[in-house]
Amino acid sequence: MSSETLLRFILAIGIIVLGAAAYWLVNHRLLVRAKNNVFTLFKKLPDKPVIVYFTTPDCVPCKTIQRPALDKVRTLLGEKLQVIEIDASERPDLARSWGVMSVPTTFLLDARGEARYVNNGVARAEKLMEQIQALYFVNELTTNRKSGKP
Amino acid sequence: MTSQTLQKVDHSALKTNQIIIISLNILAFILNLPVLAALVALVMGIGSALKVPGFGIVYKNLLKPRGWMKPDVLDDNPEPHRFAQILGFVFMTAGSLALFLGATVLGWGLVWLVVALAALNAFGGFCVGCAVYYWLGRFQLFGFTKQPPAGTFPGMKPKAGVSV
Repeated sequence: MSSETLLRFILAIGIIVLGAAAYWLVNHRLLVRAKNNVFTLFKKLPDKPVIVYFTTPDCVPCKTIQRPALDKVRTLLGEKLQVIEIDASERPDLARSWGVMSVPTTFLLDARGEARYVNNGVARAEKLMEQIQALYFVNELTTNRKSGKP
Repeated sequence: MTSQTLQKVDHSALKTNQIIIISLNILAFILNLPVLAALVALVMGIGSALKVPGFGIVYKNLLKPRGWMKPDVLDDNPEPHRFAQILGFVFMTAGSLALFLGATVLGWGLVWLVVALAALNAFGGFCVGCAVYYWLGRFQLFGFTKQPPAGTFPGMKPKAGVSV
């Protein structure tokens, strides 16, 4: 590989990394935005994970895929999870402030009301469960660390 | 929003097209091969003329039959995607011409712009060319008649899980 090709290769990698970082930043900003707007939904934190689900009445995949997925997760987790459904056509201000660009969009908040995951588009039950499990795993780690457990 | 008839659009074909465009353009940059960038422009041009994704043939004849990539058929408008490819073709042609004329910074800049927009579409689900199409449609320009599928932000990938 000539030095010029190598230089171009490094440059290409640099540009790709920069692009990926920009994309990550946008998603991160969306989560921060959700975190800042959490008190537009509840006055007091619910002390359990919350799924904030943005939908509209004319959204077909919301009815056919997203709602059944949420129902499945709700059945599996029962009282351990709260689902808040927001009609984005009735509350465009809320959708705008949360940075929602399409429906369905689901945010997963942890018990402290911090937005941890955002799913732009349909999120199947398996995916939501994975995210919730990761949330519980992190919470467990944090609790163990605080209580000095290994 | 008025009702409109949507068509079945296989987003896997579009994604394959975008990933090949990204890969070949990056390869063209690394190997300093303006000819390869021009070839990408040519394939995109042919695809635009035939109203199909330029490199969609790879998906249709190789990836799909072997099951390496599954169809992702959604109710969508094909026109904005065609328009996006035409935009990409224009940028790629301008970039290739700039490279052949010695304006390397401009040339590779345009090629990287196409890479960035294709990556945003392939990995982020946002088609800038489609958003431009819908935006022009708001001014009721001739030919820009379609509206985004219900509940979808202009340019974002529709989310219906219709499978074939």
